[in-house]
Amino acid sequence: MKHDIGCLHAIEAFYAYLDGEIDDPDAIAEFEHHLDHCRSCFSRIEMERALRQRIQKTAKNDSPEVLRDRVAKLMKKF
Amino acid sequence: MTDHETKAFFAGGVERHIDSMYSVALRLTRTSTDAEDLVAESVAKAWASVDTLNDQARFRPWIFRIMHNTFISDYRKKSIRPIEASFNDGKNDDDDLATLLNEQSDDFLIWWSNPEREFFNNLLGEQLLEALDDLPEAFRAVILLVNVEGFTYDETAEVLGIAPGTVRSRMKRGRTLLQKALWEQRPGSHEGMNHET
Repeated sequence: MKHDIGCLHAIEAFYAYLDGEIDDPDAIAEFEHHLDHCRSCFSRIEMERALRQRIQKTAKNDSPEVLRDRVAKLMKKF
Repeated sequence: MTDHETKAFFAGGVERHIDSMYSVALRLTRTSTDAEDLVAESVAKAWASVDTLNDQARFRPWIFRIMHNTFISDYRKKSIRPIEASFNDGKNDDDDLATLLNEQSDDFLIWWSNPEREFFNNLLGEQLLEALDDLPEAFRAVILLVNVEGFTYDETAEVLGIAPGTVRSRMKRGRTLLQKALWEQRPGSHEGMNHET
């Protein structure tokens, strides 16, 4: 049976987990085990994940054609 | 590498990352014309110092670092909003951070879980950009690099010239400030009601 890390420890690891900054597979497994058993932390990570995806989708922009042309012309001079 | 190969490699790198550079530049400068100028100027500076790129695999953090330094030297002053002076840099604020995470985020979580979630789904794009643009630059930059562009904390530290631990603390505080701003914009709050009128 896996050890439950508890909510306080989980909160500490929330953002590192979301950002893929936890390298230790055992630490990831322990964190996910906690999520499987804690509705509050599961809901919170879902909210954080949704917000993260929304930020990503909203703040992504294609560069305008005028900039691409400008940079292409610039690089021809190199 | 021959000069021709260097140019081809450089052009390929710029082509791959120009959308990301523009996205970050736009949120840093907050205007499309300044963002275009910042990207073009950064590409020119990067080519002028291409000899400093020791590891081709590090092209992305290298050119973003040049762009960030160019932003600081030439564009930051113009982009600062008065509200930013009231925020600190996330230093020595662990207690404050814990309080915000444990209290304000719970409120946000309750809001997220209730029927007003529809508001989040429908209106958050515009409000999210506004809240993001209002964040102090130190927090905005790490959120853009990590959340939007998928940089690691180490790469972000390299771009911004700060320690990885500082990236971690700025990410936490930036997210918390962003949630706080969105929480204050929700329907029914004083700020949210003001937005609707």
